[in-house]
Amino acid sequence: MPDKNSRADLMDPVSIAALGRIEIIARWVVEGFLTGLHRSPRKGFSVEFAEHRAYQPGDDLRFLDWKVVARADRWLIKQFEEETNLKATIVLDVSKSMAWTGSPARVTKLAYAEQVAAAVSWLLLRQRDGVGLIRFDDEVRTVIPPRGRSAQWRRIINALEDPGSGKGSDAPGALMKAAQLVQRPGMVVIISDLLVDEAEMAKAVSALRAVGHDVTVLHVIDPAERDLAIAKMETELVDTETDASVNVMLSEVRDAYRETVQAAIGEWRDRLSATGSSYEPVYTDQPFGVALRRAFAARQHLP
Amino acid sequence: MSFLAPFALVLAAAASVPLVLHLLRRRTGEKVDFPAIRYLLRAEREHSRQLKLRNLLLMLLRVFAVIALALAAARPIGRFAGGSHAPTAMAIVLDNSLSTSVVVNGAPVLAKLKDAARSAIGRANASDRLWLVTADSRVVGGSASAVRAALDRADALGGAGDLRAAVARAAQLVRGGGLPSRQLAIVTDGQATSWASAVPLDGVATTVYAPSLATPKNRAVISAQAEPPHWTPRGAVRATTTATDSVTFRVALGARAAARGIVAPGEDIVVRLAPADRGWLPGSVELEPDELRGDDVRWFAVHIGPAPAVSVVAGTGAFASTAVDALAQDGRVARGGDILIGGAESAKRPGVFFAPTDPVQLGAANRALERAGIPWKFGALRTGPAPVTGAGLAGVSALRWYALSPRTALEPGTVDTLANVGSDPWAVAGDGYVLVASPLATEGTDLPLRASWVPWLGSAIADHLSGDAGSITEAAPGANVARPAWAHELEEPDGNHREVTESRFPAPDRPGVYFWLRGTQRAGALVVNPEVGESDLTRLSVAQLEARFSGAEVVATDNASRWVASAFSFSGRRALDSSFLVLGLLLLAAEAVVTRAIAPKGD
Repeated sequence: MPDKNSRADLMDPVSIAALGRIEIIARWVVEGFLTGLHRSPRKGFSVEFAEHRAYQPGDDLRFLDWKVVARADRWLIKQFEEETNLKATIVLDVSKSMAWTGSPARVTKLAYAEQVAAAVSWLLLRQRDGVGLIRFDDEVRTVIPPRGRSAQWRRIINALEDPGSGKGSDAPGALMKAAQLVQRPGMVVIISDLLVDEAEMAKAVSALRAVGHDVTVLHVIDPAERDLAIAKMETELVDTETDASVNVMLSEVRDAYRETVQAAIGEWRDRLSATGSSYEPVYTDQPFGVALRRAFAARQHLP
Repeated sequence: MSFLAPFALVLAAAASVPLVLHLLRRRTGEKVDFPAIRYLLRAEREHSRQLKLRNLLLMLLRVFAVIALALAAARPIGRFAGGSHAPTAMAIVLDNSLSTSVVVNGAPVLAKLKDAARSAIGRANASDRLWLVTADSRVVGGSASAVRAALDRADALGGAGDLRAAVARAAQLVRGGGLPSRQLAIVTDGQATSWASAVPLDGVATTVYAPSLATPKNRAVISAQAEPPHWTPRGAVRATTTATDSVTFRVALGARAAARGIVAPGEDIVVRLAPADRGWLPGSVELEPDELRGDDVRWFAVHIGPAPAVSVVAGTGAFASTAVDALAQDGRVARGGDILIGGAESAKRPGVFFAPTDPVQLGAANRALERAGIPWKFGALRTGPAPVTGAGLAGVSALRWYALSPRTALEPGTVDTLANVGSDPWAVAGDGYVLVASPLATEGTDLPLRASWVPWLGSAIADHLSGDAGSITEAAPGANVARPAWAHELEEPDGNHREVTESRFPAPDRPGVYFWLRGTQRAGALVVNPEVGESDLTRLSVAQLEARFSGAEVVATDNASRWVASAFSFSGRRALDSSFLVLGLLLLAAEAVVTRAIAPKGD
């Protein structure tokens, strides 16, 4: 059995390299002692030097190592090792609908979501942020409180290997659980196909936002779900979670379906934006790094 | 609307496929897991009316497209505008009778008729069936080029032909053509005598073109004959013309011109001749030419032999002697012992014999007839007076006569009945004899007292006793004539010999004198002349001509363009397969458009 750290589907080095240049800038100033990549309102907080990195335009000149500049004419930024104040919780949907793919050439939504969750975890842990994980289907299956320790990564990877056993999705319940886990305002990343009750979901997100959490929703969508791209002309489609079925001539409803999916995506975006949350649809035929960049790019424009 | 390939309509059953699919579309299909079914249900809910309308429209488009294509495959034809004409079986009846050779405005009428027919043929396409039927009922069928070539070759006949038979033949061809669209296209000069009676069309739609042309004044020789047909050697030629002005004529006998002259209107041409030639000769009476050349000459045949030697049996009486003297003075007989004229009791062939004056001699007379090989015998005495009916015997009465009866069954064609009294034969003729049922005496008949006595006797001698058993047959070109049993060869006017084996055969097309040959000798004649009616160029009006036809829709016109335009499409039935094909393709295109365009747009 391969080491989880070396699993290619969870630890894609290409994705990590791509994400390594992304500076996650919180849209909402989170209290904490973040130094390094995070701009902290508490300037002058004590830090312990950890390493240098190359200066990049936009870096705060306060952290430029002038000695090195004077001695070697190299522009390096000092990075400090300290415990961040950011605590992030990844809420991962492992319901049965997630274990589906429209094409053997693609990973299931769940596998894709686990990749994204691992990448987010690694990204945050690499920046010394605290990361937790909640896995849910029709009930909460896994709860890992956020920590910034090195063992946290192992716990999260181990948890991602556990299969979901339920059918439906109880996202609001999971979100309530996340709110309980992170007392201080932090970051909640929800990774789900959002085949849930929209109103309940919005209410739960609103509740998270009410206590100051920065919520990011990654809507995982298989391209076949977006385009109704099923090879059969005529078929009986069965809901994997509810066993509801419908007979349909795909060619006749495909366009209407696409319009509906786009409308639903728009509705999710509007509904979640109204709560101050970020929303990004993620398609399983895209590199997950791209989706992550989209999800966190918005934070760079926040104060 | 009808179909050329109705079996293809079975394909229309395929129209039920989209219908059935439309009805069953909610009940079939393979199960496939699909988590986002909520979006599908929402899409159906939000677009249900649009989807239903579109599905119904698509179903209808597909059904009608299949039906249209099936109809196209069935090759429909119908009375609709547009499209090419339906595959048509069309026969062109070309009136090429003699009258169409008349020259009007510098060109024969036939040329104008052929031009119109040629244009009509030009409208034919590969799916049509085409025939050309001429007035003599000759048929050429096949491709348009073959029929056009036959049309180019068609010349005017020497006679009237039989247009009624030609039309019937054409209608028969068209009906048997195997195509539902049928048409007769007739081009004619509209001559009244050619269309004298109603012409049944047997349900075949017909268009008639009869050009409106001036009718030229025509003069013709409508009869010409030798009198008597056997000259011994003297005789006369009598001819009748239709000339309305004095006109020069020429009488030819053999290769020579025998007489020339001028004939006044209403007068007959009578020319007495005593030619030096002997045997069967062709003759003609010819007028100076006019616009219709074919009837300016008329043919006759004559047999010229030496004057037969005639002797009167002693005791026959003065009537016979006087008549023979008169014939001898006219050169028509010579005195001699070859032919006897007398009572039947002295019968010996050849001769003219009368019933015995004394009834006591009746038995001797019958025995003499039997000895002479004359197959008749006298029977019961009958008394009159009773009128005698026969050629050259007008006004003659029989006072006493014996019933003539054949001794044995007579072979057909071996005996001529020259005259009758009531139903009794009164004068009969056969091989080498003429037998009269009354005595040559005033108490037997008033024939010797009549002016017709001497000519009748002369004709009887010349026609039946001059040693030639040949006959003259007159016929129109193409008419059905009987071949003499003894003749198997016909000598044509150009001298060629033609074998004739059929007992009845069509007379030659070319007018002239044709001789029957017995061995190598001429033994009879077939005289071919155009029908007299062909010289009457009176034409029917378009309406009159149209009224001549019955049994089908007929349109007659004197407008060539209109007639040509009606060729192959007179019935109005047109091929609709291409129209249905286009319709089907349009429906399929519409279906594609509806599928792609009417549906809500995706992202």
